[in-house]
Amino acid sequence: MTMLSVRGLSKSFGGLTAVDNVSFDVHEGMIKALIGPNGAGKSTLFNLLTGFECPDAGTVTFLGQPMVALKPFKVVRAGIARTFQNTQVFGEMSVIENVLVGMHTQLATGFAAGALRLPATRKADRMAVERAGRLLRLVGAEEFADAPGADIPHGVRRLVEIARALAAAPKLLLLDEPAAGLNNAETQALAASLRRIQADGTTILIVEHDMGLVMEISDEIVVLDRGRKIAEGSPKLIQKDPAVIEAYLGEEVPDA
Amino acid sequence: MSARYGLDRAIARVAPVLIVALVAAVPLLTDDRYLFKVLTFVGLNVIVVTGLALLFGYAGQISLGHAAFFGIGAYSVGYLTATRALPWLAAVAIGVALASVVGLLLSLPMLRLKGHYLAMATLAFSEILGVFFVEASAITGGNDGLRGIPFPSVGPFKIATPGASYLLVWGVAIIVVVLASNLVRTRPGRALRAVHGTELGAQACGIDTGRLRVQVFTLSAGLAGLAGALYAGVVGFVSPTTFSLEFSVLLVAMVVLGGTGSITGPVVACVALTLLPYIDALVPGLPRDAVAFLQDWEADISGIVMIGVLLFAPGGVAGMLRRSRRAGDAS
Ligand SMILES: Nc1ncnc2c1ncn2[C@@H]1O[C@H](COP(=O)(O)OP(=O)(O)OP(=O)(O)O)[C@@H](O)[C@H]1O
Ligand SMILES: [Mg+2]
Repeated sequence: MTMLSVRGLSKSFGGLTAVDNVSFDVHEGMIKALIGPNGAGKSTLFNLLTGFECPDAGTVTFLGQPMVALKPFKVVRAGIARTFQNTQVFGEMSVIENVLVGMHTQLATGFAAGALRLPATRKADRMAVERAGRLLRLVGAEEFADAPGADIPHGVRRLVEIARALAAAPKLLLLDEPAAGLNNAETQALAASLRRIQADGTTILIVEHDMGLVMEISDEIVVLDRGRKIAEGSPKLIQKDPAVIEAYLGEEVPDA
Repeated sequence: MSARYGLDRAIARVAPVLIVALVAAVPLLTDDRYLFKVLTFVGLNVIVVTGLALLFGYAGQISLGHAAFFGIGAYSVGYLTATRALPWLAAVAIGVALASVVGLLLSLPMLRLKGHYLAMATLAFSEILGVFFVEASAITGGNDGLRGIPFPSVGPFKIATPGASYLLVWGVAIIVVVLASNLVRTRPGRALRAVHGTELGAQACGIDTGRLRVQVFTLSAGLAGLAGALYAGVVGFVSPTTFSLEFSVLLVAMVVLGGTGSITGPVVACVALTLLPYIDALVPGLPRDAVAFLQDWEADISGIVMIGVLLFAPGGVAGMLRRSRRAGDAS
């Protein structure tokens, strides 16, 4: 089933067309990768999908519901959560508190209930803390649970953002370069985590420069170059696609 | 980790009991009217500062206009009880509601503003309201202010002695501090800190950051209004000079000194800075020169302390405690 469908999406900044008439679908249950050289428009596309930028043209439909022009918090409520290429971890909060903030849409406590801290609120928070711990274990960041966000290594910040995004119980998870700053072993662990997240029923759209990881985990790939979609298909097809090889010339050629 | 958290939690459990005991013990130890009055002012400031700690210390939003919300609460109760003869409790409710609504209406256009611009907007608001307090003399009594405001009373109970006023104000202050301390530990409190940390991150967590900003501003305006509403009945007199920019700045200084991300820190700083001008009465035998110096330079001392804290200890007292504890962990 089509979960997300992007049609004719465009966005310019001044004279520069960052995203140029892009269309593709994400089917439920898959891991889809979005790749392309630096400046291809991948992060801009994520911003358009999550309400952080408003497109000049085009539509985004998520589970049959139009998404364009929704504010970011409404996008999260609709079931799409994301991480950032430039991580946005709450530095003054501990890692587990970061994940608890990610549960904002899952908890109901308002100002009055929070001030009274009734037994129901305490119980919900206790369960939230347990669940946050499980999510940190899932991404492999549990040893940092009590560390302040500002004090953890950059690679771990990306993992914490994944846990925080999962805390919103999204149907679709958007990851912007989650493996940047991770070593080989950590990247392998990340691949395993992503598979588990997929197995738990979360669909994933991932932007990633680590071609090894992309080829290993993705079911389908979309390739952007200078804002345009130049190819779409299975990892096998993409590796042989002349337009893709051309776009990556002078850069690292996606290897097998 | 667990031992430290165990200790922290024990302190967190015991501290409120100790504070309540201390507050309750004062009337048993003394019947000094002057001391009661001074401590009543401390309690009123604690109420305002708790709201400002949520606004500035948690959500990172500055306001230089909170004296004006205090004024709205005070004038409402003064006018409604002295001139309109409304019951005290109803007047307090109206005063708090009015301060909250004005806070809400002010915060909506301010959503587009950040940092210095926000400070300037609240400052401008406070100045405009200052002019209003003087000019709307039919309601506010102009420069002379409102006199003869009746004592707080609920039905047959009248709170007419300094000791009773002290207990009323501190009773409310303790409730406010407890509720705020609860709030910051739960979902809305985490959201406030998140917005302060990174707005993008907060939005990505599904937080309606605009709505949250409006909520916390309204709440803090309402708390300042509540303190003002209590002030009117307790002091019996309201005049425009009470709601000055200096008062707003002093309130912010208390939060800055007390530290961000903490309720206890600002409350402690509030107690200390409010008592400072009365130090001669509280600490007998202090050299008269020193007292005169402190009283003459009070505003300047607050200002210098605030700048010093911002430069050398941005987290305030609470931040320094957190850091030293963290350093202790690492060793
Ligand atoms: N807010 C903005 N204002 C102006 N230009 C922008 C803005 N955001 C992105 N751009 C430009 O749009 C183009 C696409 O940027 P984008 O960040 O989407 O690329 P990317 O594919 O994510 O690249 P990378 O792999 O380096 O992260 C770049 O040329 C960038 O400079
Ligand atoms: Mg990018």
